[in-house]
Amino acid sequence: MNPSAIERVVPEIGVPAGIAPEIVENVYLPKAVVLDRVVTEIHEVKTFYWHFEDWAEQRAFKRFRPGQFAQVSLFGVGEFPTSLPPSPTEDDTFFTVRQVGSCTSALHQLKAGDKFAVRGPYGNGFPMEEYRGKNLVFVAGGIGLIPLRSAIVYALANRKDYERIQIFHGAKTPSELMYVPKLHEWERTPGVECHLTVDRPNDDRSNNDRAADRWKGNVGVVGSLFKKPEVKVPVENTVAFVCGPPIMFRFVIQDLLGMGFKERDIVSTLERYMKCGVGKCGHCCIGVAYVCVDGPVFTYEQIKQLGEDI
Amino acid sequence: MKARVLNRDDVLKIVDLLRQQGYDVIAPFRERGRDTFFDTVTDQNRDQIQIHLPNPYYPPKRFVFPPIERLLKVDRSNGDLRIVPTYDVQKRAIFGIRSCDVAGIYHLDRFYLGREFPDIYYQNHRKNLFLVNVACTDPDLDIGNECFCMCTDTGPAAREHFDLQLFDLQRDEFMAVAGTPAGEALFVSPIFRKGSPQHVARRRKILEEVRKRFKPETTSWFSAAIQMVSRGEVSEETWEKIGNRCLECGGCTYVCPACTCFTVTDRAVEANGVERLRIWDSCALGGFTRMAGGFNPRRAIHDRRNRRFFRKLAHYFIQRELSMACVGCGRCAAVCHGDIGMPTVVEMIRHSTAQGKEA
Repeated sequence: MNPSAIERVVPEIGVPAGIAPEIVENVYLPKAVVLDRVVTEIHEVKTFYWHFEDWAEQRAFKRFRPGQFAQVSLFGVGEFPTSLPPSPTEDDTFFTVRQVGSCTSALHQLKAGDKFAVRGPYGNGFPMEEYRGKNLVFVAGGIGLIPLRSAIVYALANRKDYERIQIFHGAKTPSELMYVPKLHEWERTPGVECHLTVDRPNDDRSNNDRAADRWKGNVGVVGSLFKKPEVKVPVENTVAFVCGPPIMFRFVIQDLLGMGFKERDIVSTLERYMKCGVGKCGHCCIGVAYVCVDGPVFTYEQIKQLGEDI
Repeated sequence: MKARVLNRDDVLKIVDLLRQQGYDVIAPFRERGRDTFFDTVTDQNRDQIQIHLPNPYYPPKRFVFPPIERLLKVDRSNGDLRIVPTYDVQKRAIFGIRSCDVAGIYHLDRFYLGREFPDIYYQNHRKNLFLVNVACTDPDLDIGNECFCMCTDTGPAAREHFDLQLFDLQRDEFMAVAGTPAGEALFVSPIFRKGSPQHVARRRKILEEVRKRFKPETTSWFSAAIQMVSRGEVSEETWEKIGNRCLECGGCTYVCPACTCFTVTDRAVEANGVERLRIWDSCALGGFTRMAGGFNPRRAIHDRRNRRFFRKLAHYFIQRELSMACVGCGRCAAVCHGDIGMPTVVEMIRHSTAQGKEA
């Protein structure tokens, strides 16, 4: 990694003078939130709508940017970082979480009215202001749509700031497509090109052949959508947002680079084991970046320099 | 900076002065041989405090960054959540902290307080901390085989970041240098008297002699290693060689005065109570980066070793914190079973690059 490359990964090198003055804020202190309702998205993935007990906290929190994340506390189990799928332009605050470890399992046990705790928002987020006047291409594989949902809703709420908006979403099966009502809404929204695909039209879990019969859309990986005759992906003046499982990420990156995308015009969000979210605990530090404060949004050019698996 | 002179017999009276001011005084003690440790001074052990001794392996870092520290207490009674942060605001003074460890605490200051999201728990320890540094002037007792503060420029006598520095001028005299107004305030005590230019000259001469007593091989190539690591010139093969010698015990990180990583865990107390704790963690351990679901982006040992040394040596991080995460105390070299402490790694990096250039 040459020094100039390092500076590009994290352009702002903080040079604070002396020890910080008296601190009043405790960055590790989460605030109590109330769970309003739970919506099952797909198998083992649920959306949790919540609000802070203290409305001043709620207002402060709502200043988050698309692409940022929050730390969720389930006391007695632990704390985990999770993307913020809502856009700040929406009223609701919610998380969409897959049940994968002890904390997320504890969250999945909660019912409306239960309390847990949240702190944040953290991270850099997508530079949506910088992208004004550009085409936006969103490519999401499976639950990779969770972090991109925020940017998509934000872009649509500020529609005139952006040129063409394309959404590509792929899932293993039709029953694993994320945010289905929202997808239908986007499909109907004028000025948005929303393309869906599934790896297999039949559903392994329910072995439901009728679902396969009902699926009239594309069958194939996300990248197969780019090759369809009716799809014209703009390359010039375009930012591509890519989120999804590692294998999908690698192939989509190859497709985009093949189409002529520059590495710095492809952005993604990284996930890492995190304990603090504020650049202290050291777990998410890769290369020269702390994913929690320098990320989680990085361009593909930066991700390559960080030199670790996605 | 103001300086005063005092008699050897009066040195421990500084401990008494600090204790009278309400400080918990922590000082180094010695059992047998190399068995040295920091402990809280009491009326009983006060006379056993050692001025010159091998630096304890367990650094005084724990008085600003405890191995286990409670962050929050949570009461979950009646389905409610009452979250209360708990702070430790005890006044502490570390008497006899070595210059490398002073630099270590300064690095922690830079890391926890110098950037965005300053750490209030650390600050509470730090703002109540008084540091009495003792310069390493006894070549037999103070300077170990592993010491390399000469090349990290952190010793043998710290130039800043202490409240008070004691320097053994021999002939039963010590020089005291105040680094802060709090340190200077101690000079009102009658144990201190004005020094003379001869004292200053003696200090300089002793320091010159002491500098010659460090092993030359550990004081070489450090800046070259920083350059090579920062430029990415160290081959994967070298990192693998280093990784192959790592036993994954995590010892280097636990004795390091400048390591900052921690993990956070919850502990149930009573029926409805939970305590949130932070505990030292180590990048040498396999689970350090393992995510929920089992995916671990950093799999091989050498990836993790690479990580530790990159984090400590890369120019980028030195610039980011305006302080280097290695202070030359040599503890990692002393505790490592695979002999891949910092001096050895620096030497391995130099060796590999030198070979590469010849080939």
